[in-house]
Amino acid sequence: MAAVSFTINGKQVSFDGDGDMPLLWFLREDAGLKGTKFGCGIGSCGACTVHVNGDAVRSCSLPMAAVEDGTSITTIEGLAASDSQLHPVQEAWLEEDVPQCGYCQAGQIMATAAFLKTNPNPSDDDIDAGITNLCRCGTYVRIRKAIKRAAAKMQQA
Amino acid sequence: MTYFSRRAFLKTGTAGTAALFLVGNTPRLLAADAPAATGTLPPILRLDTEGGIVLAVPAPDMGQGTVTMAAQLIADELDVALEHVRVELMPFVGAMDDKGKAAMGPLIQGAGGSLTTQELWAPLRQTAAYIRGLLVEAAASRWKVAASGLKTAGAHVTGGPGGARLAYTALIPALEGKAAPADLSTVKTRGRGAHTEIGADRPNADAPAIVRGQPIYGLDQTVPGMLHAVIRRCPHLQGELEKFDASAALKMPGVVAVHEIKARKKESGKRLIAAGVAVVAESLWQAKKAAATVECKWNGTPGMDTDSELVMRRAFNALDIAEMATIIEDGDIETAFRDAAKVVEATYSHPTWAHACMEPHSCIADVRADSAEIWVGHQFMDEAINAVAITTGLKSDRITGHFYRMGTAFGRKFEKDYITEACILSGLMKKPVKVTWSREDEMEQDYYNPMGAYRLRGALDKDGKLTAMHVRAVADGWSGHAAREIPQGILDHYKGEWMEMHTAVSNGAWRGPGSNTRAWVTMGFLNELAVAAGKDPLDFLIELFSRKPSVKHSNWPNRVLDLTRYVAMLRRLETESGYRTPLARGRGRGVAIFNTHYGVCGHVAEVEMIGDKDFRVLKVTSVVDCGLPVNPNGVRAQIESGIIDGLDAAKYGKMVFRAGVPTTNNFDSYRKLRIDEAPAEVNIHIMDFGDEDPRGTGEISLPPFIPALTNAIFAASGKRVHTLPISENL
Repeated sequence: MAAVSFTINGKQVSFDGDGDMPLLWFLREDAGLKGTKFGCGIGSCGACTVHVNGDAVRSCSLPMAAVEDGTSITTIEGLAASDSQLHPVQEAWLEEDVPQCGYCQAGQIMATAAFLKTNPNPSDDDIDAGITNLCRCGTYVRIRKAIKRAAAKMQQA
Repeated sequence: MTYFSRRAFLKTGTAGTAALFLVGNTPRLLAADAPAATGTLPPILRLDTEGGIVLAVPAPDMGQGTVTMAAQLIADELDVALEHVRVELMPFVGAMDDKGKAAMGPLIQGAGGSLTTQELWAPLRQTAAYIRGLLVEAAASRWKVAASGLKTAGAHVTGGPGGARLAYTALIPALEGKAAPADLSTVKTRGRGAHTEIGADRPNADAPAIVRGQPIYGLDQTVPGMLHAVIRRCPHLQGELEKFDASAALKMPGVVAVHEIKARKKESGKRLIAAGVAVVAESLWQAKKAAATVECKWNGTPGMDTDSELVMRRAFNALDIAEMATIIEDGDIETAFRDAAKVVEATYSHPTWAHACMEPHSCIADVRADSAEIWVGHQFMDEAINAVAITTGLKSDRITGHFYRMGTAFGRKFEKDYITEACILSGLMKKPVKVTWSREDEMEQDYYNPMGAYRLRGALDKDGKLTAMHVRAVADGWSGHAAREIPQGILDHYKGEWMEMHTAVSNGAWRGPGSNTRAWVTMGFLNELAVAAGKDPLDFLIELFSRKPSVKHSNWPNRVLDLTRYVAMLRRLETESGYRTPLARGRGRGVAIFNTHYGVCGHVAEVEMIGDKDFRVLKVTSVVDCGLPVNPNGVRAQIESGIIDGLDAAKYGKMVFRAGVPTTNNFDSYRKLRIDEAPAEVNIHIMDFGDEDPRGTGEISLPPFIPALTNAIFAASGKRVHTLPISENL
């Protein structure tokens, strides 16, 4: 495909390879950003969730051909302002001790960070409708608490 | 987090640098690296490059909290605060046996059967206590005082001359060359009441790495110069590859080679690895894309008869007519049933469940002429190394395993197929090769939880007391153990019969093997009996478990169950759940209690019907007998996990095989529970029966949750769930 330039976590990158390749594999294999996880390959589980221009996107189902010039992509590695200053969602995940195996949690955190932008004070029903990522450890009860905690943190900030 | 290979670990340590220092090592397996090694202590304590303390734990974590729990055991004896140290997984420190196979050392380096906590409990604390003694001696020698007057606190030796303190970080190098104790088992450890870290709520030690997306899982690993393999595996159970055409794949960019993979079988005759065609390429995407173009002609005849509907019909037919093996016969059930005031009969059945491990399997292998390395997430280090030994013919002391956190495993990552495939391909390519599975591979090539069908009869006397039970079980695996489950041993009259039905399905360990379904069958039926007897189900269970103070469990691990604890737990559930408070119409509570492995868990589930065909779990109240909880927060996490996993499996779990081919192979066809169906409220109560020792909790919550749920659905709707999944049978 014709070369496109875009940013990942604020860094400029370009791509002119196979446009059929999903963004997930570009991130994990080409860019070496392993925090974005492979779970199903059909956009169902959400383990591969990243932000594309601020929106939560399941990167396993976004071919590189659909990534346009100037697109801004954020992965879990770029969510925090710095290693010592985590994003409020990451902080809330630690404070509620959400992760068990942890494999899906980068996707859960990315989905939540995008969700809270449009739902700054979510109800349980909002969370049920808006957060659809799969967690096989069943951390959902703690995820619900962590989402509310993160929302409270972001409103105070 | 960085995991060091044992060789890199040791070489750096013996080079005398300050960067890495090992306390102890294992003589035989390390002989080539460390001829001077004499100790047998596992390397649980070291300094990192910044001079910080690192605790190395022996057993891998799949989400069940092993790493955190084990770090607490070490920290408790060493007087180290967990928040001030780094925690990592130690390399394999076992030995090589006479046959060249890896064998565990004094510390278990695996996770299965919910055994890790209790198996590490004594030796890991004894190792830490011994090392603490060495640190005290080192300080005493430096201060030229008697060791007996010194104490430890906050990673320091204290009580030196004039109140002097010495940091462990300054003392660790002085331990080099110290001998291991002659007999680790005689080292004294702290008793209950003296613990600081044990019994304290601690967060997941790996959570800081997890929320930052650090590459801590097997699938995240890379090795310089490695190639990627994607395998087109035979979708037919036990099937064979007849022929294939990879000419298109071979012309595609990056493709290096195509190899046929021959099916291999276990001693049991079931699949070790599937027949397939491996496409090896420079990148994962190239391999994936090219593999999709390979045209395969399979021979599916070996598994043809394994069709889910047909299998279930055969099972029901067997319940009707088969002369089965009698595995247990107590008293005289025929007389008991003849004398019964009421006889209740029911038939239960459940389909096969897939693991659906969150992280699809992968392994990197680098097989050379005289040595091999693997990078993998696996539940047992010795088993993983031995899989390499068997595949390559190398002795285990020539094999290095690098082990990583697992994105769940549930028993599936005990299997060796993905390691075997990587070793075969690396051997052929003479380069490091990474094999990456797709979700479809993970579900089609699973070692499933067995299907089963059960017929139960119970006899009630004129007072509504259960006097006899007869259970017939048919399953294609250990689900048949339902035929010797509690209340067997409590009742005077009991008969259990079972039949293992042959199918082409490869079964394996799935969280709470056997218990996961037989808890539902037995506790669901007891609920039916209570209703038939006109008794409240909780009162019925309390009466049953009050008949004897204890009972020897006929299922593994055959422990003596203290029934007075069961009664106490049921009473606690009664209080904590508000069991006697009436509920609105359309709502109901269900209770169940069950021993899985070494732990007992009970739940009261409260559900609300959504119309006739669906429901929502509103609240769950749980009680746990796991002995002394090392990490109560971690225990609660496991109980929460089992509730969700049980709800998920019971409501939706159903693998479908059509003419020997799995047709449910991803989350579109094999539904998994999401947050919208999670209970709104979960309250967990860890019982304190005064035990000194802990018992594992990773598997104990799921089995009793399923009957608690179906019993609650009955209470809410009058509908008895006799067939799983619930979603198709309300």
